[in-house]
Amino acid sequence: MSLAQIDLEEFIGEIIESSTSQFMSECRELNGAPPFGSFIKTAGALPVYGLVFNVCTHSIEPNRRATAYGLTEQELREEQPQIFELLKTEFEAVIIGHGDDRGPQQVLPPQPPGIHSFVFPCSESEIKALTSSGDFLRSILCGNRLPADDLLIASVRNAWAARAFDMPYLVSIGKDLCRLIRDDYDRLSSIMRRISN
Amino acid sequence: MNDLWSNLNGSPSPQKSGEIGVVTRGSLTEGVEMKLNPERSVEDVKAGKFVVIDGYKNQFFSMITDLTLDATNPEILLYPPHDGDQLLHSVLNGSSTYVTVALRPMLMLEQGEEIVDESRPVKTIPSHFSKVLEAEEEDVSRVFGSEEKDDRFFNMGTPLDMDTPVCINLNRFVERSNGIFGKTGTGKSFLTRLALCGLIKNKKAVNLIFDMHNEYGFRAMKEGGNGSSFVKGLKQLFGNQVALFSLDPESSRERGIQPDHEVYISYDQVAVEDVIALQDELQLNPTASESAYLIYAQYKNRWLRQLLSLDGPDVEQFAEDIGANKSSLSAIHRKLKRIENFPFMVNKLEGSDAVDTMMDYIERGIHIVLEFGRQTSMLAYLLVANILARRIHEQYVSKSEKFYATQNPEDQPKHLVITIEEAHKFLNPATAKQTIFGTIAREMRKYYVSLLVVDQRPSGIDEEILSQLGTKITALLNDEKDIAGVLTGVANASGLRSVLASLDSKQQALVFGHAVPMPVVIKTRDYDEAFYKAMGYLSEEEKMEKAEEASAAVFGD
Repeated sequence: MSLAQIDLEEFIGEIIESSTSQFMSECRELNGAPPFGSFIKTAGALPVYGLVFNVCTHSIEPNRRATAYGLTEQELREEQPQIFELLKTEFEAVIIGHGDDRGPQQVLPPQPPGIHSFVFPCSESEIKALTSSGDFLRSILCGNRLPADDLLIASVRNAWAARAFDMPYLVSIGKDLCRLIRDDYDRLSSIMRRISN
Repeated sequence: MNDLWSNLNGSPSPQKSGEIGVVTRGSLTEGVEMKLNPERSVEDVKAGKFVVIDGYKNQFFSMITDLTLDATNPEILLYPPHDGDQLLHSVLNGSSTYVTVALRPMLMLEQGEEIVDESRPVKTIPSHFSKVLEAEEEDVSRVFGSEEKDDRFFNMGTPLDMDTPVCINLNRFVERSNGIFGKTGTGKSFLTRLALCGLIKNKKAVNLIFDMHNEYGFRAMKEGGNGSSFVKGLKQLFGNQVALFSLDPESSRERGIQPDHEVYISYDQVAVEDVIALQDELQLNPTASESAYLIYAQYKNRWLRQLLSLDGPDVEQFAEDIGANKSSLSAIHRKLKRIENFPFMVNKLEGSDAVDTMMDYIERGIHIVLEFGRQTSMLAYLLVANILARRIHEQYVSKSEKFYATQNPEDQPKHLVITIEEAHKFLNPATAKQTIFGTIAREMRKYYVSLLVVDQRPSGIDEEILSQLGTKITALLNDEKDIAGVLTGVANASGLRSVLASLDSKQQALVFGHAVPMPVVIKTRDYDEAFYKAMGYLSEEEKMEKAEEASAAVFGD
């Protein structure tokens, strides 16, 4: 999808750290991170597609921590509105593919996404293209520091939802997963049960 | 959603043809294994089914011999997905739990090659992941020929779940002795009648049928269906081409049949060999034959008449006279006395000898059914069949020797097929070496005589003879020994064993051997009006119509 078609005003974050396999973005708004396990992309000539695996909110100053006030958020906003300006939300994504003139490819990008690129949620058609085969499962299972099982569950649910909860799709993904986790039956049954619930 | 599930677990009505799996492993000796396509339900794949493996260079025509449920992980088998968990069930199906199907390649043809007369054994196996397809109509006719192609081919039935006829090659069928086996009530006599019809219709051989239970000549009972009904016999189907001989004319007449000939046998026509063949039935001990030969040495052809004319006390004296063991001779005397009770045994023949009449018919190409009427004792059957077959065989030997000498095509004897039932009585290991049927089964077609052996207890037949049978048509057999017996002399029999044991008890048979290029399970052809018609039978109205047409053609309207 070309840059022109993206409404730049719709961005949800901006990249602040980038590597070939993962990137980190800062949210446009506090607590405005995309949901865990959702599919996101960067803008640019070569869009990069990722899967959100970690969201965190903390002080903007690395050496300072937020302090507990013992007030509700509403009370805080009325009494100490400035403290919210001192916080930021960041989210990390694992890269599962990039786009070229043929559309989304499930291959790592030749270059990591650029710092300060904007990040957008993926459209339904992009999600379908990225999850047409079970290859994205492999990226999840092979990634470092990832909560693999929960990320699998969340991402497969999203992919399934993009297909209007089509059962044969879930079954075929289940078969791929079964092979990838090397017939770990307990793990498979737990994952499949949590996806379908 | 239920529809979805049923689709995932193999569609209930799969397409008629298509890929059913891929080859995953195999060996030339053990056969090939295929992984079943997960979209297929294992329950649609049956043992005995005819499939084609589409190799890179060759097509392998194969039979399904076994099915196995497998799992990659033993834990799945310990904790199977519970009943409601259809998702997990579907996910596992085909990935962690799968079905392997054992195939036995039976025939190999190069892609596009036509089958030639001589079938060739499979010499290689298909490569990895070759597709396994359900056989299509053209595959069946390519392998088994079709009736339209040639009069060699005779339709015996159809493969399982298919409608294309499977034909046997009658030319090859008559080249050897053949066997038809099956438990009681599995349709042996229907199979036999079918094979005989083929031989008669296509004029491949002259038949002599020892019809112990009166089921081939005229009508016969048909089991099952709505009560019992009758089916037409050979005489009704083929009219003048079949002659009915009877040992018990009274019984024939009571059944409303007029036999063409009555058969009587004189005592002088009984040879010692004929009595030896009765060893089992009469429980004669081995010395009995020696005693019989002693009498024969002195009295020649009259030996039996002489023996039976004696009364109790004279036997011992007689034994002393001829130098035989007293107790042995009195035993054989006592036991052979039973023969006197048979109404067809006469002192002197009136009219022509039955064997001469039979030979006359055979030379004219007319098939003979010998009915036993009420003479259904095994003793009568064995005695008569042995005497007649021995004498006919003698004549055949001299005729064929004459032909070998003159090499004049006119002298060539007509090929004769002798059908015997309860064959294990004739061909058991103890007597097969001495009786005429053993000789015929072994010497094959050298003298233009071969056997069609019908039996329910093949394990009772001498192994040497079983292994020499060319084509075997086998309905269901359960007994391990019988199955092993039928498969004697068959290479790679292990696969056929399971197929044989899993046949339906009605209208299914495994055909293998000389007359078919590869073993095949068939649903036997229906023996009904359509069959009668195919055999050229005309009902009364049709005959009238035909006659009218003919007279119109001759005399004009």
